[in-house]
Amino acid sequence: MTTIEKRVITKKPEVLAPAGTLEKLKTAIRYGADAVFIGGNAYGLRSRAGNFTYEQMEEGVEFAKHFNAKVYVAANMVAHEGDAEGAGDFFRTLRDIGIDAVIVSDPALIEICAMEAEGLPIHLSTQASATNYETLNFWKEEGLERVVLAREVSMDEIKEIRQKTDLEIEAFIHGAMCISYSGRCTLSNHMADRDANRGGCTQSCRWKYGLFEIDEAAGRSSMLGGEEEEAFSMSAVDMAMIRSIPDLVENGVDSLKIEGRMKSIHYVSTVANVYRRAIDTYCADPDNYVFNPEWEDELWKVAQRELSSGFYYGVPSEQEQLFGKPRKIPAYSFIGQVLDYDDETKIAVIQQRNNFGIGDQIEFYGPNFSHFEQTIEELWNEKDESIDRAPNAMMTVKMRVSQPVKPFDMMRKQR
Amino acid sequence: MIELIATAESIGQARKLLEAGINTLYIGEDEFGLRLPTSFSREEQKELVQLAHEKGNKITVAVNALMHNDRIATVIPYLQFLKEIQVDAITVGDPGVIHLLKQHAIDIPYIYDAQTMVTSANQVNFWAKRGATGAVLARELTRDELELISGQTVVPIEVLVYGATCIHQSKRPLVRNYFNYVGESNVENDRSLFLSEPKKEETHYSIYEDRNGTHIFATNDVNLAAHLETLSQAGLTQWKLDGLFTKGDVFVEMAALFNEARVAIMEGNWSAEYTDHLNERVQQLHPAERALDEGFFVKNPEDIQ
Repeated sequence: MTTIEKRVITKKPEVLAPAGTLEKLKTAIRYGADAVFIGGNAYGLRSRAGNFTYEQMEEGVEFAKHFNAKVYVAANMVAHEGDAEGAGDFFRTLRDIGIDAVIVSDPALIEICAMEAEGLPIHLSTQASATNYETLNFWKEEGLERVVLAREVSMDEIKEIRQKTDLEIEAFIHGAMCISYSGRCTLSNHMADRDANRGGCTQSCRWKYGLFEIDEAAGRSSMLGGEEEEAFSMSAVDMAMIRSIPDLVENGVDSLKIEGRMKSIHYVSTVANVYRRAIDTYCADPDNYVFNPEWEDELWKVAQRELSSGFYYGVPSEQEQLFGKPRKIPAYSFIGQVLDYDDETKIAVIQQRNNFGIGDQIEFYGPNFSHFEQTIEELWNEKDESIDRAPNAMMTVKMRVSQPVKPFDMMRKQR
Repeated sequence: MIELIATAESIGQARKLLEAGINTLYIGEDEFGLRLPTSFSREEQKELVQLAHEKGNKITVAVNALMHNDRIATVIPYLQFLKEIQVDAITVGDPGVIHLLKQHAIDIPYIYDAQTMVTSANQVNFWAKRGATGAVLARELTRDELELISGQTVVPIEVLVYGATCIHQSKRPLVRNYFNYVGESNVENDRSLFLSEPKKEETHYSIYEDRNGTHIFATNDVNLAAHLETLSQAGLTQWKLDGLFTKGDVFVEMAALFNEARVAIMEGNWSAEYTDHLNERVQQLHPAERALDEGFFVKNPEDIQ
């Protein structure tokens, strides 16, 4: 009798999560991210996202090492004259701090990094719109370690790219999307004097536009249609590839990227948690894998727009754009984080993040996809005085919980 | 030496453009080139090369699209064809094409043209070190920036002096998606549509779709007629005229005006009165439904955040 050995995938793709702050970095890693991407104080595309000082980076790197996780720094601006000044020092400092790679799109910055910070791996940013295997081969010869594919690349194209290059492939799996080829949009520059490729994007694509023709004699005639004259818009729904983990793994994507350095710890913990669980589940037993709808339900709790699969399985239609009246999303709010828990008394110490109180139906969740729901029955403030509600931001409260919790578990409730 | 580069929409127009003083014709086909007035057949491309070369002029072919895998397969024979018909240069915006040129030893000079992504001298020089013989600069550069760049590049750089500026390329069919949403899927998707910004009804951004996706253009077309001498003095002597939205003989007349301006500069006849007169004639010729401005050339770099 022969026994067929169970297939197990040992080379799992990396779950790469966004981290706008040190708190988000730690949260993402605790909730299962293998790597995080952050911004420095210069050369990035999120001038308003929380960016890291060198000291914060050091702390982040130290924390990540403890969990065997990596830290990448996005330096993906398209520099104008003078912008790249000091970039050599910047890259050297990152290397010496122990940053695992930088994400760059501007070839001038790539050159500076390669020459002045030898040993610091470079990833090509999605801003450079890499859409074919020859582009990856070009960048491989330039010494790059990884390319973040353009969001316009399909699953079949990824499969072919994997067959024709051995450069690491990173692909977006979750979050908001540019409606354009990233980098090939200067709507903000022209409409608002803000440089989209230097951190100034105003998301002009999400505005509501008029649409018309011009006739020399008759002048303008509106081409807007629909009963209530729907405005023209280019706003994309968001991406969620939770249903396609097998395709992503089998086609050889090395890193699965979650968008959203501006997003909350509620978002980053939830999304990292879900993808961690789905990838672990698939890789442990790919041939008997079953998609768990709870994962998707979980993602909806932090969704801000409808979800789609982008270009992976075809060119997006009008269904993957936002027209009409916006729907009420998200459905959940983040209300607290566990600071401490006493197993004897079943009392948890909670840091308030949003108003809640007695009678509220709440949900706790933590790393490793742990979840439970309960109703708040009693609540005490720091002086152990009984209270009805926890109205003050960041106040510390105590409550009895129906199941054990751990520090850094999160508490949310339906809106 | 100032070089005038112009798009061509037909063989007849190409002939007239050369007669009007254009040095280099910029042509191509939609599968590989972005936002061209016409997609020429291979036979026509061959004929255009002969036409240009007869008179000692040049042809640059647009191979500046973002290629997906399927086009990597088809662009190789196309590049070989372009080599065979002896085009003078191609524009390239996808490093994959640069890799192919090298790998297949196809020896055609290439001009780096990644649209919005070409914003500094160091970038231009990066591509020059990898074989580029020139570069097309992003349209979002101010006069100060252009002058700084010009002094530092090791290859010539091209500036748009007349025509439309693309400010957005999406792979999505944004126009078709809109009309599908409102239930009017039979609306003809030609190049005559415009967008206006919310609360700025006077704006008019051209928008159209083709096989490369959806393209949106700046509300005003660029006209640097008044600044030609400044460009020339800064060493910015490759001037492109884009006839995507300026058709037929009107575009030929426009080309003739810029040629006349070039002569005026070279002969030392450039003056304030001449500039005013030139500008006036450019404005008169320009299609009435469109408008002109000087784009980012006259902006202050400090004002752009």
